[in-house]
Amino acid sequence: MIAALFIFGPIVLAVLLALFLRGENVVSKYSALALFTGMLGFSLFLLQELPERGYLALGSFLEVSKFDFVLTLQVDMLSTIMLLLTSLLLILVTLSSWTMERQSLYFSLLIFFSGAIFGVFMSTNFLWFFIFWELTLIPMYFLVGVWGAQRRIYAAVKFFLYTHVASMFILLAFFLIYKESGLFDMSLVKEGMLLSPVLIWWLLFIGFAVKMPIFPFHTWLPDAHVEAPAPISVLLAGVLLKMGAYAMIRMVILMLPQTSQKYAWVLLLLGLVTLFYAAFMALYETHLKKMVAYSSISHMGLVVIALATLSYSGLSAALYEMIAHAFVIAPLFLIAGFFYHKTGSWQMQDMGGIMQKAPYISALFVIAGLGALGLPGTMGFIGELSVLLSSIKSFGLWMALVALASMLGAGYIIWTLRRVIYGEMSSVVAKTDFRMNRVEFFSLILFVFAIVFFGLFPNLLFEYINAAFMQFQSIGALQ
Amino acid sequence: MITPFYILLGFGLLSIVLHRTALLKPFALTAFGIAGSVSFMTASADLKLFEIIVSSVLFAFILHEQEDITITQTLFLGASSMLLLESDSILSFVIAFESLSLISVILVSYVRTKDEVEGAVKMFIASALATGFLFLGLTFYLMGGGELQEALHPNATLFEMIGVFIMLLALFYKLTLVPFHGWAVDTYAKVSHTNAALLSGVAKTVAVVAVFKIFEPFLALHLSFAVPLFITVAVITMTFGNFLALFRKNIAEILAYSSVAHAGYMALAFVAVSSSYAQDGILYMAIAYIFMQSAAFLILDTLKKSYAIVSLDDLHGFAQQNPLLGALLSIQLFSLAGIPLLAGFLAKAVIFYAVVDSGLWWVALIALLNSALSVAYYAIIVKSIYFEDLKVKKLSLSNRTTAFTAQLILVAGTIFFGIFAGVIL
Repeated sequence: MIAALFIFGPIVLAVLLALFLRGENVVSKYSALALFTGMLGFSLFLLQELPERGYLALGSFLEVSKFDFVLTLQVDMLSTIMLLLTSLLLILVTLSSWTMERQSLYFSLLIFFSGAIFGVFMSTNFLWFFIFWELTLIPMYFLVGVWGAQRRIYAAVKFFLYTHVASMFILLAFFLIYKESGLFDMSLVKEGMLLSPVLIWWLLFIGFAVKMPIFPFHTWLPDAHVEAPAPISVLLAGVLLKMGAYAMIRMVILMLPQTSQKYAWVLLLLGLVTLFYAAFMALYETHLKKMVAYSSISHMGLVVIALATLSYSGLSAALYEMIAHAFVIAPLFLIAGFFYHKTGSWQMQDMGGIMQKAPYISALFVIAGLGALGLPGTMGFIGELSVLLSSIKSFGLWMALVALASMLGAGYIIWTLRRVIYGEMSSVVAKTDFRMNRVEFFSLILFVFAIVFFGLFPNLLFEYINAAFMQFQSIGALQ
Repeated sequence: MITPFYILLGFGLLSIVLHRTALLKPFALTAFGIAGSVSFMTASADLKLFEIIVSSVLFAFILHEQEDITITQTLFLGASSMLLLESDSILSFVIAFESLSLISVILVSYVRTKDEVEGAVKMFIASALATGFLFLGLTFYLMGGGELQEALHPNATLFEMIGVFIMLLALFYKLTLVPFHGWAVDTYAKVSHTNAALLSGVAKTVAVVAVFKIFEPFLALHLSFAVPLFITVAVITMTFGNFLALFRKNIAEILAYSSVAHAGYMALAFVAVSSSYAQDGILYMAIAYIFMQSAAFLILDTLKKSYAIVSLDDLHGFAQQNPLLGALLSIQLFSLAGIPLLAGFLAKAVIFYAVVDSGLWWVALIALLNSALSVAYYAIIVKSIYFEDLKVKKLSLSNRTTAFTAQLILVAGTIFFGIFAGVIL
């Protein structure tokens, strides 16, 4: 019951707040903060309660016998980790949008989003999963479209349409699964029950690949990321992309292991292409936020490569890399957005020498950047290393070429730092006053702290991540 | 026996006396209230819910409507809708169907502007043609040995088959399936928005449910005849409607084309006639559609009358002017687009699943992609409401509470049936 309350409660609350509050009313900001903290507490509670293996049932609601259409709420370690990550990011995003304009509506939408995303990670009924999956689009559409930069409308409509079209493939796959197996629950469906697993695999793969995004389905992302306000870019990269990866793990890799085995080369190939293509694009970009967006895609390429191994260690690496990516990319987006907000330009040549004007913020940017290029001692390093090791283990030594991407990463990050943070102070920067709201600065510090802390003590995370996949290894879904 | 038909007919005849008095509206509201409760007590189980919903949507419509003559006509339209829904033989079906199209023609023929003349004439000609075809088909059917007083013969002779085919063509006019849709777009976009709400929201939906009820047993036995015919018509209709809606600037025209596209989705129930979900699918689609389409056109009526909004450009920044109405319109449009937690999504999900269930997953894929495409033009309307800078100037301050209550009833339906599927399935 409480679980359902954490899904529908926020949605109803968001509608009420949007209806009754106007303009800059701070009530919805504080309700958002309180709610997200409650969600974090709830996720921690779930972590305590989880059984050794399998799902923790949280009740089922709204039963419709004819269509097997039941809101079944269950969590296992994998979904609990996603819930923890989501609620943590939501809190940090709330802090980092502390001074957002038209606060009341903004935070109502954020609250609405939190309900929908909790629904995605908690419901195991395919149709309800799909409902929440689609529902996350609505607040995102408005958040990008109302608070975005100049080309916000184009970006919002493109994002909405692109991902919505992809979702149609997912829905069709769910229908086929139900027709062939008579089951509408992802915790019950096994590959052996399906008559056309190949068709279903491809439909699901395309649908989730768009969300992740995997080359060549990534084109919505640079637009959406660039035009969205900085905290929303964090949500896009940290939660929405992870939603795609989560679904890919649960419904492609773990639900259809044999077909995944057959098409592992597709995953591997597209992962490598995504990794290198996005890295080269990032190297080429002079638009600061686009550079960050491409580096984000490049990191998702690493996740795909790790998934392609279909092994226990690979999936653990993928999940760690997902978490690392969320924490590393967030401060980069936030600070890039802050620089734009202050200087009025996205172009790197207009910046330069910011270190002299804003040393603390620049230092945070540098640490996050070093995390993105995988410097030892940061989360990025552990992520890249574990992906590299697991892929070498599965595919052989030639996978060492993944390390080359890390080199490219070092290239674009360090070059960007050279152009934006260090170097000659540009005339624009000289005129700008880089003062930041204290709450927003605090959220940045928390992000950077997490990058270093979990980079030094990765086992704190791996303990749970390994537990998430341990059970699948024993039932033979993983190598 | 007292049926909703007699009640609405009686109230309709009596209502003429009450014109130009303040009593007319409460009188008509009472009529639909009674009709709804009679449906609840007497109607057969499979149609009970739908009849009640038709009554309540027309109830909301009366709340919105201001013209006496249209209120009386609405009562008659309700009466013939009930008759059509309860028809069980060919004869009663044809009579009820013709009375529904007659009352529709009368509804639009009360013209106030030049544009409305165009819409009315087109509708009149299309109705006349459809009637001609219907009777031609009926003649063939009777020649082949069909009986008027019975349901369609399942084991049809050749002439009966030809007759049914021609009758279906006539019905395609009414259901606005391509290539018989030409009149519909102009009529829906040109006649007054309240009439368009009645025609595209209520009359068409009732017709579709009734046609499915009468023809389903026949078509289920002639799959090789029905499935290819309806696949062609459905796919062409939805694709055509969606593509043309993309390029319109006039909001009423967008809704008119979206109505054609929805006719295509509804035709999928006939494609999936071999599946046990087809019946649920068409019923769900009808219930969802009657709420969202009527609501959208009624909001459009308010927009036109109070804010002189006709095209997408006029709508820019409307949310800042009237946030509540903007939100209501957006909800109905998202429901039409098939966004979850709204009735439109579950309706599409059930009807598309029926298609998958009958083994035609590629048809379902075409339909799904069409539905995704349709989001483009709904999202663009929502974009105009929320993302653009304010442009509209308010003309009159006629914030009528009754019209607003009507919208609340309709939006409640859209949301309720988007979450509680168990009521229908």
